[in-house]
Amino acid sequence: MTDRYTQFVDHGIGRDIAKRLGLPQPVALRRYQPGEPLAPGPVLIQGTGPGADALARELLGWNVDVRRHAEPKEKLGAVVLVLDDVAHPSELGRPVLAMGASLRDLAAGGRIVTISRTASSAESPAVAAARQGVEGMLRSLARELRAGATGNGLLLRDGVETTSPGVLAALRFFLSGRSAFVDGQFLTISTDDGGLPGNPDRPLDGRVAVVTGAARGIGAAIARVLRRDGAKLVLVDVPASGDHLAAMANEVHGTALQLDITSQDAGERIIRHAVERHGRLDIMVHNAGITRDKLLANMDGAKWDSVIAVNISAQLAINEVLLQSDHFRESPRIVSVASTSGIAGNRGQTNYSASKAGVMGMVRASAPQLQKIGGGINAVAPGFIETDMTARIPFATREMARRLNSLQQGGQPVDVAEAISFLASNAAAGINGEVLRVCGQNLVGA
Amino acid sequence: MPAAEQPESAANQVSGQSLAASVSERSLRKAVVVGGNRIPFARAGGAYAKSSNKDMLTAALDGLIARFGLQDERIGEVAAGAVLKHSRDFNLTREAVLGSALSPETPAYDLQQACATGMEAVLGLANKIKLGQIDSAIAGGVDTASDAPIAVSEGLREVLLDLNRARTVPERLRILARLRPKDLAPDAPTTGEPRTGLSMGEHQALTTAQWKITRGAQDELALDSHRNLAAAYDRGFFDDLMTPYRGLQRDANLRPDTSLEKLAALKPVFGKSLRAEATMTAGNSTPLTDGAATVLLASEEWAEARGLPKLATIVDGEAAAVDFVHGKDGLLMAPVFAVPRLLGRLGLTLDDIDFFEIHEAFAGTVLSTLAAWEDDKFGRTRLGLGGAFGKVDRSRLNVNGSSLAAGHPFAATGGRIVATLAKMLHDSGTVDGRPARGLVSVCAAGGQGVVAVLEAN
Amino acid sequence: MSGQLAEQPIILGDVPSLSKLYLNAAANTARRRILGAHPDPKLPTGSHEVRAVRVDIAKLTSYQHLLGETASDVLPAGFIHALAFPVSMSVLNRDDFPLPLLGMIHLKNHVEQLAPVLFTETLDIRAWTENLAGHRSGTQLDVLAEVRIHGTEKVVWRGTSTYLAKGVFLPGIDKPLVPSQGTSFTPPVPTGVWELGLDVGRMYAGVSGDFNPIHLNALSARALGLPRSIAHGMYLASRALADVGAARGETFAWDVQFEAPVFLPARVALEIATSQGMNGHWQHSDYVAWNPRSGRRHFSGSVTAL
Repeated sequence: MTDRYTQFVDHGIGRDIAKRLGLPQPVALRRYQPGEPLAPGPVLIQGTGPGADALARELLGWNVDVRRHAEPKEKLGAVVLVLDDVAHPSELGRPVLAMGASLRDLAAGGRIVTISRTASSAESPAVAAARQGVEGMLRSLARELRAGATGNGLLLRDGVETTSPGVLAALRFFLSGRSAFVDGQFLTISTDDGGLPGNPDRPLDGRVAVVTGAARGIGAAIARVLRRDGAKLVLVDVPASGDHLAAMANEVHGTALQLDITSQDAGERIIRHAVERHGRLDIMVHNAGITRDKLLANMDGAKWDSVIAVNISAQLAINEVLLQSDHFRESPRIVSVASTSGIAGNRGQTNYSASKAGVMGMVRASAPQLQKIGGGINAVAPGFIETDMTARIPFATREMARRLNSLQQGGQPVDVAEAISFLASNAAAGINGEVLRVCGQNLVGA
Repeated sequence: MPAAEQPESAANQVSGQSLAASVSERSLRKAVVVGGNRIPFARAGGAYAKSSNKDMLTAALDGLIARFGLQDERIGEVAAGAVLKHSRDFNLTREAVLGSALSPETPAYDLQQACATGMEAVLGLANKIKLGQIDSAIAGGVDTASDAPIAVSEGLREVLLDLNRARTVPERLRILARLRPKDLAPDAPTTGEPRTGLSMGEHQALTTAQWKITRGAQDELALDSHRNLAAAYDRGFFDDLMTPYRGLQRDANLRPDTSLEKLAALKPVFGKSLRAEATMTAGNSTPLTDGAATVLLASEEWAEARGLPKLATIVDGEAAAVDFVHGKDGLLMAPVFAVPRLLGRLGLTLDDIDFFEIHEAFAGTVLSTLAAWEDDKFGRTRLGLGGAFGKVDRSRLNVNGSSLAAGHPFAATGGRIVATLAKMLHDSGTVDGRPARGLVSVCAAGGQGVVAVLEAN
Repeated sequence: MSGQLAEQPIILGDVPSLSKLYLNAAANTARRRILGAHPDPKLPTGSHEVRAVRVDIAKLTSYQHLLGETASDVLPAGFIHALAFPVSMSVLNRDDFPLPLLGMIHLKNHVEQLAPVLFTETLDIRAWTENLAGHRSGTQLDVLAEVRIHGTEKVVWRGTSTYLAKGVFLPGIDKPLVPSQGTSFTPPVPTGVWELGLDVGRMYAGVSGDFNPIHLNALSARALGLPRSIAHGMYLASRALADVGAARGETFAWDVQFEAPVFLPARVALEIATSQGMNGHWQHSDYVAWNPRSGRRHFSGSVTAL
């Protein structure tokens, strides 16, 4: 499922040509398959504090080959750098440089994961500087990694242990092939809530999920991944896409609900359908979205309004109904699809960017409300993903967009779906109000 | 069927009791309509021009399966049929089941009662559910006027059969020599009645003239049908009753912008040889149409166990036939007799019905039916009542459109109507403190009609 | 992969006409007979592409009916093969293609259906050749085709057809050292029997556009050295794919290896064996077909979840 350029430079002559010309050399990314090992080799845990020791003990129980010290010439599947107790920027050098010495041994598709604490909760300027320093270091390191390896970080609020469920779940996500197209990103774990799934390959067993815009593209990929991970599905799309929707529902053994999400009773109908057919409603994935691109000078009211209505107003309305419903109370999770366009902006997409930035604002503000009912809400912001929608971008622009990230390729719909499935799981209960970018560390935006 | 999967009441069999007694004990539970699915109806030669009955029935089934999560489910029985059927489709319904996402262990059978095929499938399967023989069922119907079977002439057919039996070359040559040029003309299906030679339209023209139904009244009914159907689409009424197919998202015959003026401008097509004015046009008659419809039926327990809706109960049904051959009654007037018998049995009158779904084979059919019921003499002499049977409140008639606008793929119409009515009943819930009631009336070729009463659940 | 990207594809204005291609191929064969073999045994480096191909719904439905596919709105994988086939053939018909097109034998076929394709979609189809290699009885090569949604990079279907030019040995291309051994075959209990009439070749030609004379009738087949007409390999493989049924879902890999040709008319025995995973989900179906009288294997293959 890689693009033709990536196939070309991944083999023989193509690779040689690309090397000589200094062209980007994207590789086929390591993607998740159920039952496969978490990392493509032993996991080195660096850091000397008690947090690192506790984490190493925990990982031993995962059937992972854990190393506390690098062994010369041994290929490593991942390096986890535990810096949860740094108190001054001068303390960063030793552990970071030690990790640097291991980078040469990182296997293709390997992982770097830092574990540190949020700077905003630091009690002194020096602690804050050290903590924020970790973030800067990791973001640059991620750009230095090659061969499909990625670097991401966990930010723990003070009081959250390195072995709390949210940390372990996020660590699993970052180490595994599920995070193939997530690079240079941080996830904040705010609480000790949640629990790891009994079966790590079926984290959504027994949960009922609704996916909007599920007939095609990223929505269809989300449906397939949620189903693989154990969820029962309600697939929603507009009646005009009913034939695609029916085919998808029959493929993933879910039920099809033909519904315009901007209709007034959309929220109620979704809840009623899920509860009546499947007995419950645990996960709401707001994926449905449209684009109506025009330079603002040429934008008409209809184009602006329809994008706002579908991409954000509908989500707000449905969430409001969900929050009031007694059926959305058992560790409920909401995951919205935002976009890097909402972060960095995109020419011709003032309406779309407004709606997607709106999604991020909504997620942040809704987090306390979800917290109150024992749930969580997060967003996933895809970067350049190979879909029908992005395929309509003119060739040169598309090629630029595709290569302008650390992994030098576009992501696949499944990469977005994996991030959504992770954030939809109970194991991610400690993560709330966050926006996770699935963009291969795009150059544009933060 | 393994014992564990018997309907629950059968498990309580008292030892020593006769089998018949234990069977009658489990009998007569409710059969409910869970929901329906159809593909949009296309005009003959349109979007489904190359699609076969099996194709369309499978598409309608797959949409139903997706709507209710029936993938790999073993349904008690699937029954459907087509009026125009190829001989190779002898097991049409079972073949469609095999091509669908249902469990291949789902049994199926074909049936045919002309335009009432879909209704009879619903009633027959509902009875099996009521008797406790099955817990779930899918009733359906499909027809294509585009992909209709064309038979060889009788002469050619006989020659071919004899040829097959012949053993020697001279014998074969002798048989071939019997062929005449006229034998080579194919025998295309018609809507003509075998016994009268008149087409359905010509038959209805006789009835329309007999009941003095005006052109204006017929055009008005047609206009209502288009307006009601268009409004139902606009409100999203069909969002959970339909799945697009072959690029078609709405019934192709629907003309939301039609008007009395446009309808009045059409030339009559039937009844032109009668002494009375010819009033039946392409606008107030249903066109030839392709399409398929399905309805999911179940016992209450089966639906509840799966969290599926119970829109309405199939209360009762009645079939009737008239002697149209010698003009005693009109070809499509059998429901005129079936409805009084059914309502009489249930102790109801027309005033007790909240929704009427009277199939619009022709606008004249519906209006002749209403006229007969309102006629005092007809009520006394033909229906054996004290006077006129009653008056249908027109504001309760075909409120979401019917065949004049949607089209009428013969066997699919019953499924379309039952699913539509069940949803309407469910939506209105109770009327005057009792469950809402609906009446379905479908006329059929051969002077037949099948009617049924449904009640909101 | 290298060849087709080394240069821009040659964009063909329209899907080439197969009958013209076959005529041209016949002319080429004759010319080669006179002028001798191609001097430079190299495959053409470029690819051919046709853009904005639209599907004729009537053709799609006829195809679905003939092969026994459910007539859904999704294009069967074999139908896409037929769509791409003329583009592939146009590459083999180039003057710089070193092997005679007519009489080439289809050895095996591999298809990846990566996403469901609806008939409403417009497609770009590209084809090129690779892997010219020796075979114990001639020279073989792979013909690759790739189908994308029009104007996009989204590959929805990918196919590799391996052909053998029997009896053609090109200078500089060695025969493989170890001749591949035909594995012994004991016919299993059949799960189905196909009765293939004389007209099967013509009917499949009608829905696929592949009017190769070896499939049409005994006369035209004899002109190319065959005793009788033979069924299209892709007809057989596509029927097996249809027989696997709805369980295969919408994305899958589909393989077939052809052995003895099916001379028409024919009775073909078939076994389809389906494997489910631990969770009861379909994983793959393997099929094999043989002549029920002689026990000779006609073809075998599999459909596997992607």
